[in-house]
Amino acid sequence: MSVLDTISISSLAAADALPGRGFWMPERASTVAGDVDFAFNLITWISVFFFVLIVAVMAIFIVKYRRTNGREAEQTVTHHTALELTWTIIPLILVIIIFYVGMVGYLDLRTSPVDAYEVRVTGQKWFWTFEHPSGCIEVDVLRVPVNRPVRLVMGSDDVIHSLFIPAFRVKQDVVPGRYTTLWFEATRTGTFDLFCTEYCGTGHAQMVGHVIVYDEDEFDDALRECREWIEDIDDAQLHLAGANLFNRCQACHSLDGSPGIGPSFLETHEYFHDRRERDMIDGTRALVDENYLRQSILNPRWNTVAGYQPGQMPVFQGQLSERQLRSLIEFIKRLDEIELDDRGRPQVLSPDQIRELGGDSPNDAGAEQ
Amino acid sequence: MTSIPSNTLHTDNYLNHTRGFMSWAFTLDHKRIGVMYLVSVLVAFFFGGMAALALRTHLIAPGTEMLSEDAYNQMFTLHGAIMVFLVIIPSVPAALGNFVLPIMLGAKDVAFPRLNLFSYHLWVIGAIFFLMSLFTGGLDTGWTFYTPYSTDTASAMGGVIPALTGAFILGFSSIFTGMNFIVTIHRLRPPGMTWFRMPLFLWALYATAVIQVLATPVLGITLMLLIVERAFGIGIFDPALGGDPVLYQHFFWFYSHPAVYIMILPAMGIISELVSVHSHKHIFGYRFIAFSSIAIAIFGFLVWGHHMFVSGQSALLNVIFSAITFSVSIPSAIKVFNWLATMYKGSISLNAPMLYALSFIFIFTIGGLTGLHLGTLATDVHLHDTYFVVAHFHYVMMGSALFAMIGGMHHWWPKITGRMYHELTSQIGAITVFIGFNLTFFPQFMLGSQGMPRRYHDYTGDMWLPETVELFHTYHFWSTIGSYVMAAGFFLTAGYLVHSIFRGKLAPANPWGGRSLEWQCTSPPPHDNFAKQPTVGDCYDFSVLRWDEAEQGYTWREDVPRPGEGDRDPYEKGELE
Repeated sequence: MSVLDTISISSLAAADALPGRGFWMPERASTVAGDVDFAFNLITWISVFFFVLIVAVMAIFIVKYRRTNGREAEQTVTHHTALELTWTIIPLILVIIIFYVGMVGYLDLRTSPVDAYEVRVTGQKWFWTFEHPSGCIEVDVLRVPVNRPVRLVMGSDDVIHSLFIPAFRVKQDVVPGRYTTLWFEATRTGTFDLFCTEYCGTGHAQMVGHVIVYDEDEFDDALRECREWIEDIDDAQLHLAGANLFNRCQACHSLDGSPGIGPSFLETHEYFHDRRERDMIDGTRALVDENYLRQSILNPRWNTVAGYQPGQMPVFQGQLSERQLRSLIEFIKRLDEIELDDRGRPQVLSPDQIRELGGDSPNDAGAEQ
Repeated sequence: MTSIPSNTLHTDNYLNHTRGFMSWAFTLDHKRIGVMYLVSVLVAFFFGGMAALALRTHLIAPGTEMLSEDAYNQMFTLHGAIMVFLVIIPSVPAALGNFVLPIMLGAKDVAFPRLNLFSYHLWVIGAIFFLMSLFTGGLDTGWTFYTPYSTDTASAMGGVIPALTGAFILGFSSIFTGMNFIVTIHRLRPPGMTWFRMPLFLWALYATAVIQVLATPVLGITLMLLIVERAFGIGIFDPALGGDPVLYQHFFWFYSHPAVYIMILPAMGIISELVSVHSHKHIFGYRFIAFSSIAIAIFGFLVWGHHMFVSGQSALLNVIFSAITFSVSIPSAIKVFNWLATMYKGSISLNAPMLYALSFIFIFTIGGLTGLHLGTLATDVHLHDTYFVVAHFHYVMMGSALFAMIGGMHHWWPKITGRMYHELTSQIGAITVFIGFNLTFFPQFMLGSQGMPRRYHDYTGDMWLPETVELFHTYHFWSTIGSYVMAAGFFLTAGYLVHSIFRGKLAPANPWGGRSLEWQCTSPPPHDNFAKQPTVGDCYDFSVLRWDEAEQGYTWREDVPRPGEGDRDPYEKGELE
């Protein structure tokens, strides 16, 4: 195995010299990526060798032994045990080697270091929620430190999902009713793709996120920002902050009145604006006010708007801070002030841009209910 | 012997023996049942192919709005379910196998003709249930019906139960065909045909039939459990009801992995025939090929877990399944090398059947070798559920299994219809399909290894990185162009085949120089195949045949006695078994 180790280490070294995507594989950005790519390249080259051999022999035979006028087949032996054993045993040895390399690489993928930084992951139709130990909860954006093992403890609230980060070469199904885990150690900073790879219905292709890898000190700042930025946004601009959280809602709720899994926020906004009552699925009518919005976000199972399927919306109780919840309510209340692009998506401003709009007035955060 | 006309199209044959719709719909003749299967399978293939073209067209660029998300999801489900359950699984055994198997045995029919007819009727009923699922809310679960998505009424669309019922019924169709073939091969072999003198196509059908009989019941039970859970809320797979979703995957793949071999084994059998007949040379390593079919059938039952390396299955199980998986690659490799050795010093006719056989070897080599990437644990974690898998199984299922079926169809077309198709057009068709296929699916390997997940309606959106979108766009674009080339090739093929039925030259009894028994009865065969069950010799010894210019086909050399007539071989006289 020492020879293999050496090759594998040298391929790792090559990986660092090679920043971008290769022909086959995306960029390598985790500690295990080099080993995975070594196995991949080993198999690929063995495959190329056999493919070329088989196709070349086939091509030569086609040309050389093509049936032309008067040329008959020559009789040759109809079996040759030694020859046939040869092409049984050589592939057998090769696949044993491949199996071994793959197994060793896989066991490294499965065995996470004990001191790993832990993030809780929840898959839901159709977004990811990432919960950091410090309390930062984000949707579809996973922030991690560079050069430090990270362990994801994952669960699903509905059907099976699967978390896949191509640049890290890791993937794990996220199964309802149990936890699955995944670990990686990022080796370079930057933004990388994160996909759901287990089919989960209508919005499967939009269950896509980013992994952002930070230097250690920047990472702490990023988490603090994630936790606290909304606290010092002025009430006057709070609806703009709500637009930042809307990506959790957009798979099911439109802003321009177009139909979706759940009612469009535009409708809800109009009901709210006119202080109208809404027909619910159980036959009652509900007044659309702040309490209605709060209840519908935190515990949507309390009731469902008539014409929609119950049980579709996930429960957000405990996932939103009071200020975040209020920003979403403000967002719906003041939807007419939000600019939409031609695809019906809201204009999303960064925390700094929102702060600039608000000037320096101190905020008076607090629950309004 | 030469006074018997070799083409019976204008005299009595199985096609005109009786007339009328009922004489077909309720026929007990294996040849007519085979033809009905063939037509039905090709119709299903047309619809499955149209769905594929719609998918590819939608994916030609990011942000295409041709299909909505739900329409796309239904479309790929439809494509997969049709192609697997209605096309590939029945294509070779039920369509070609039904036609060829009894004739190869010199028998008048399969052992249980009524059961055979019932299999076909079940196929039709199963297909109707699949159609029903479209009108009862649609089906968007993917052909795999993974739980809890499929049992959760809030997730999956309403057509799940009809579709499951359809698959259940199709399963029985498959089981009955398998049982029928096993008994037929055991009981109805002609004098002289010992086990190791059977044409290799029969070995392949036999191995396939064993899998059909042993594995398909598990699918039936699994689908039943799924129906029970979805209809009555009894918790089996859904964790919300106390079930286990991964259990479903075990049950499902316990059938569906062997099902892969139900698809590929008979295809390999066809290739063994095609390579040997069209190279006019004795098959090389008969026993290794025959045993490798059996080995694949056995190992095929022990590897289902390799579909579940990232499902949450334990690391130990993964290691075991990975190890066993590699054992399947060996018999497949043996076959490829033996086919090449068969061609050595042969006399290779590059007609359409042989072109499909050569395409098969080319494509199956790629499909098989990329299976190594997926069987290897470390690389499968990255490649699982990406387009790499899509490319891999299309290389195996379509480029191998289906191309072999099409090659076999060209091979036996003169026998089935009594007509020859236009040779040059058929060669152009085969080459177009081959080029189109590779252009469609090869880019998908890169697409997958670069990270593009399967079953994605789109590859752009707020959270997609622009470089990723751009790269995926390039590969998707070429893949779509390839699918159009392939479609053009298939339409050309459909065109000349239909044309040949009406305008094709009359086919001789033996246009290619085949030695197995189906080439010794007329084209098309009479209702009873053979007046008396013939005695057979070595079905790969082509030296007894010669080209007959008047006949435009091959005939038996006058100076060589037929099996059972001369004094050549005690086997052939039926004295030894």
